[in-house]
Amino acid sequence: MLHSPVDRVAEATPHAIAKRFRGLSDRSLAWLFVAPSIVLLLAVNIFPLIWTIRLSFTNFRVNRPNAEVEFVGLKNYISILSDKDIWLTMQATAHFLIWTLVLQVLIGFSLAYLINKKFRGNDLWTTIIVLPMMLSPAVVGNFWTFLYQPQIGLFNYAIGFLTGADPSSFSMIGDVALAPWAIVIVDTWMWTPFVMLICLAGLRSIPDSIYEAAECDRASKWRQFWTITIPLVLPFLMLAVLFRGIENFKMFDLVVQLTGGGPGSITELTSINLKREAFEKWRTGYASAYAVILFVTVFGLASIYVKALNKVKER
Amino acid sequence: MTRFLDGLLHFRRGAWEMLASVLIAAGVVMLMQPFALVLYSWSFLVTLLGTVMFIIVSHFPE
Amino acid sequence: MSSYSITEPSRRQKWFAGVLVVLYALITILPLVWIIGTSFKTPSDAIAYPPKTFFTPTVEGYVNVFTTRTRLTEEQLQAVGEPQTWYDRLVRKDGLVISGPSRFAERFTNSVIIGFGSTVLCIVLGTAAAYAFSRFKVPLKDDLLFFILSTRMMPPIAVAIPIFLMFRSLGLSDTHAGMILLYTAVNLSLSVWLLKGFIDEIPVEYEEAALIDGYTRFQAFYKVVLPQAATGIASTAIFCLIFAWNEYAFAVLLTSGNAQTAPPFIPTIIGVSGQDWPAVAAGATLFLVPVMVFTILLRKHLLRGITFGAVRK
Repeated sequence: MLHSPVDRVAEATPHAIAKRFRGLSDRSLAWLFVAPSIVLLLAVNIFPLIWTIRLSFTNFRVNRPNAEVEFVGLKNYISILSDKDIWLTMQATAHFLIWTLVLQVLIGFSLAYLINKKFRGNDLWTTIIVLPMMLSPAVVGNFWTFLYQPQIGLFNYAIGFLTGADPSSFSMIGDVALAPWAIVIVDTWMWTPFVMLICLAGLRSIPDSIYEAAECDRASKWRQFWTITIPLVLPFLMLAVLFRGIENFKMFDLVVQLTGGGPGSITELTSINLKREAFEKWRTGYASAYAVILFVTVFGLASIYVKALNKVKER
Repeated sequence: MTRFLDGLLHFRRGAWEMLASVLIAAGVVMLMQPFALVLYSWSFLVTLLGTVMFIIVSHFPE
Repeated sequence: MSSYSITEPSRRQKWFAGVLVVLYALITILPLVWIIGTSFKTPSDAIAYPPKTFFTPTVEGYVNVFTTRTRLTEEQLQAVGEPQTWYDRLVRKDGLVISGPSRFAERFTNSVIIGFGSTVLCIVLGTAAAYAFSRFKVPLKDDLLFFILSTRMMPPIAVAIPIFLMFRSLGLSDTHAGMILLYTAVNLSLSVWLLKGFIDEIPVEYEEAALIDGYTRFQAFYKVVLPQAATGIASTAIFCLIFAWNEYAFAVLLTSGNAQTAPPFIPTIIGVSGQDWPAVAAGATLFLVPVMVFTILLRKHLLRGITFGAVRK
């Protein structure tokens, strides 16, 4: 156990001094430092999690505190996992997830590739592109409803201007066919910079010498792109995709403000559906089982994410 | 010899982690695919299995 | 030709890349510019067709977001008398009188209190934990770190169900203390992971030297490591602040009257007759501009913050 710096120093110092700081005991200090955080997380995350798991086997309802709480076994899980409506919200989530990822990866990577050409003033423009990312998703969703207004909205006007269509002839958030794309567009606008930044970091981590060597071998630019650039940026891209995937799987604030799940339930993503079950229908036990299913899914994805993270860290 | 065993263990952990990741990914795809209700119904079990497996095998020595 | 590097893009490539990136940047910034512009329009300018690019600016939207107004009839208006202040005069043009302050200022203050409160707590707890994880042999270190990170990944709505029940039975629902605790727990993962990265970068030799000079371990942490980590702590703090500032899901589910923050409030701004877009835009502008400023300040650390310190650039 002679690895910590203190131990090493202790070996190298005279006995009296060594004793003085050994007295504090690193071990107790470590616990003193870590414990408050762990306790807080246990209280605010783990304890509620265990509570949710327990509730998920009952028919408890918050709005009926006097009703008898019954243990119903796996019934909640079975009914959720055979419910066609919930399956549909999963598909709505999948549509949102897949298209946002495809668009963000394509646009984000292209932008990073272009910015990496190091033209004059690229820092300034990068900063401008990054701005939407840090804004409050709820407020962003809210003001995009204004931009999406038929006729008066800037978005409809721009589309009308470009395609010649009448700006009042379509409503991005009122139309069943268009609403799923409305949320994809806003999320892409907001989060493409995220993918771009990570790709840029990946591109900048590739040493020039590799390209120089390839140039000496007379590899074409096209070949260099596919055999050097893409493979070396891929771990970074994986990280970005996993992170955005997890975030969009649990997407709530942006979409709830933008479409509220409508029209009908065409943009009702999983989290919005769960919110209805838990806080509008107050089926707490049922919603808890629903929540556990989402927990496990996200937890599984998160473990893959951390693996990807460590891979990137090694670079 | 011990080094060889270490390497073997390392390889095994990697392989197991890969298998667990594949299970999790399969579970997630099953959860959200629009083709068969049966796949959706069993998705949670697959994800759960993958996740539990991941937690266990990530404690295998490197 | 000899000084020309083969990996350096040609002038034409740079020019081409520059044009495309600038084009994207202009398109991406347009919605933000439009919202800020709309906040200075009159309601009729805001809903004009075709959309107005040039207009006479007015602060009506800002007046409206901070006040509630009532429409009065001609006689009633006469009875009220001449408007006293500049903002009275501004709304009087539309036949309205200001009937009182709106709750916007209150919600904004809540956002500030909860944002700063949770950030301070987060940094204090996070710095201590990060230091321990960085320097000491903590048992189950990797598991604890993963556990801390995974708390961040959980869907807020799913977490909100038990939190809702817990807060209710503890009397914490709709209180500042409850929200500060909750946001601290949510952001703790970020602050631990980010700060661990920053502290890892400080050479251990500094502390070793301090220890040899007779400092205790705690003094070494306090007098040597903390000043070295100052930039890292500052940028972590800004990240925590932004995330707490932006949070919506918990705020909308767990607060209503007393501790509600601005994000759930802004979408509920409605004018006297229908949706008052300039007021909504004014509320959004006041809320978003501080974040934009912080984003610009943070740009060097941005990537690090959003990847939990994994990618350092």
